[in-house]
Amino acid sequence: MIRPAPSETAVVAASPALSIRELRFRYGRSPGDGAPFELDLPELSLAPGEQLLLAGKSGSGKSTLLQLVAGLLDPDAGSIRVAGVEVHALTGPARDLFRGRSIGMIFQTFQLLSGFTAIENVMLAMLAANLPRAEHRPRAAALLRALGIDRPDRPVDRLSVGQQQRVAVARALACRPALVLADEPTASLDPENAANAMTLISAACRDNGAALLVTSHDPAMADRFERRITLEARRAEDPEALAR
Amino acid sequence: MTDFSIVIRSLFARRTLTLLTVATVAVAAGLMLVLLTLRDAGADAFRRGPGTTHLYVAAEPSPLTAVLNGIFYANPPRNAMPWAKYRQIAESFPWEWAIPTQLGDSYRGMPVVATTRDFLTRFQPDLSGRWRFAEGRPFEANFEVVLGAEAARRSRLKLGDAIILTHGSPGSRGGDVEHHSHEHDEFPYLVVGILEPTGTPHDRALFTDLESSWILHAHDRRHHADPSVTMTALEDLLDEDRLITGIMLRLPTRPGSNVSPAMQQQFDALRRDTSIAVAQPEQQIDRLFAIVGSIDRLFIALAATTLVGGAISILLVMTGAMELRRRQIAVLRVLGFSRPRIFSLVVTESAVIGLLGAAAGVVLGVLGMVIASEALRSTLGLVIPAEPRLPWILIVSACTVALAALAGIAPALTAYRQPVAGGLRGVD
Repeated sequence: MIRPAPSETAVVAASPALSIRELRFRYGRSPGDGAPFELDLPELSLAPGEQLLLAGKSGSGKSTLLQLVAGLLDPDAGSIRVAGVEVHALTGPARDLFRGRSIGMIFQTFQLLSGFTAIENVMLAMLAANLPRAEHRPRAAALLRALGIDRPDRPVDRLSVGQQQRVAVARALACRPALVLADEPTASLDPENAANAMTLISAACRDNGAALLVTSHDPAMADRFERRITLEARRAEDPEALAR
Repeated sequence: MTDFSIVIRSLFARRTLTLLTVATVAVAAGLMLVLLTLRDAGADAFRRGPGTTHLYVAAEPSPLTAVLNGIFYANPPRNAMPWAKYRQIAESFPWEWAIPTQLGDSYRGMPVVATTRDFLTRFQPDLSGRWRFAEGRPFEANFEVVLGAEAARRSRLKLGDAIILTHGSPGSRGGDVEHHSHEHDEFPYLVVGILEPTGTPHDRALFTDLESSWILHAHDRRHHADPSVTMTALEDLLDEDRLITGIMLRLPTRPGSNVSPAMQQQFDALRRDTSIAVAQPEQQIDRLFAIVGSIDRLFIALAATTLVGGAISILLVMTGAMELRRRQIAVLRVLGFSRPRIFSLVVTESAVIGLLGAAAGVVLGVLGMVIASEALRSTLGLVIPAEPRLPWILIVSACTVALAALAGIAPALTAYRQPVAGGLRGVD
């Protein structure tokens, strides 16, 4: 099991892993009249190591919210703090570096880079975050070993789907992030494998001290999380916010 | 794992396209290198040819023809001068040296220069030094011959070998060797010396004494008049046998200088004689370069265009690759790569293609130079080194990499501007 370094544990303990206030963001287009949807989230907080399910139908803004949290999109209003840092106060390379170091991301299709081995995919995350080069290989190897990958030098294209998912989890945890964002990580799996995958992600984040924000439109996932919120899409002119 | 590893992996992932692009760039860079090197080497070879000769006199129709035929052995001279003309010119001024030459005979297509020992002891083929003998010595007696370095290489002759010269050369008097040349097997020549290479046209010539050549031609005359004549000696020579085709002249100069203040005066004085063409070889070579200069520039422009074409192919390949790599770029951005870092990855990738192309181009350039120098040696007799020059290698390589990097800017900007969300599938 990989545990965060003591100093990082102290930082994580001092601030919520995620804190959102008065978030508003217009996105997409309504198929009917072409009006934009609006994401309106008055408040959301995630303690260090805490895990939360973000449920909702397709188009409800789950992935958009994750991209806002990751700093890939800029909100129209409101505040998003990750590990105490106002993400959108950072600009350019500073924001990218912060994302690389503090936020891990897991995707439905894993988004591993073909042409690279399993361990290289994990090391890429550490390279992106400018972590000391000497740490890359030993930490990546330890993470993969802990997640049950016994052939880390194998190209990812030759790994099974289950193994690819483990590599994706290892990559998300490579930089000891305060927060892991998992975007529909089980959407393409059958129920049994989906349950196993979520168990793996959940346990890995817990073992590594990372808070976890998972999106899913699968109702079966809801029971696995003590905390959950549901997002619903609304048109921008709709006066009621539907985040509950 | 470094940023450069990502670049290399990316190139390797589409290796067929990478190889084709590298090959395109390599051909362009190689062509550019060959042309630039050939241009310089050719110019040097031409400039070295006259060596320490200040003036060249021949009975040719123009000074340029005189220099091309008399010094660069382009064709055997068509007209000869009597020995008396040499005496007259040699005694008209206190020259540092006046060396008579006679061309017209050949050995296996290589020109034979009949001259005096001064040619090998006082004339210098290159301003930087005298002749150096790889083996043997200058000719001293009649029917001794010294081989230029290239002539020795091509003929594989060695010291002590006896050779039979051909009266007439390929290309002489219309080039009809069958009708105008014949071998003098009555007069074998002994190889007594082999010269070191000089990088001049003299390397592919053979050198012997004037009297032997005169005897050869006197024998022709006598045998034609009386077929029972089997041998001719020095005493049989008539004035009409004592012919030369050129005179190399050098004016006195101060030590360490190649310039004489009396040059123009003597040049003008000699030109008053309308039976001869007087040439300042350096001027004639400049004239020749002026004539071929536009062709030379055209070739360089063509090569540069090819190089730009190579850069455009990089641009197209990289632009095409950007479409295929939208996901990869998006993932790298998610992992923490900044836009400038992505931009530099793409430009580096493009520059690496240029670098590989330049490296392969240097190899192609060397091969091209070997082929070109051999072709020039065998067809024009120009001896030029086959190695591309280091400054051109560096300049062509730097230009290739710079152009390639430049070609990478547009696709790098595409990558720079690419929104992350659009590059990731499965985003709702």
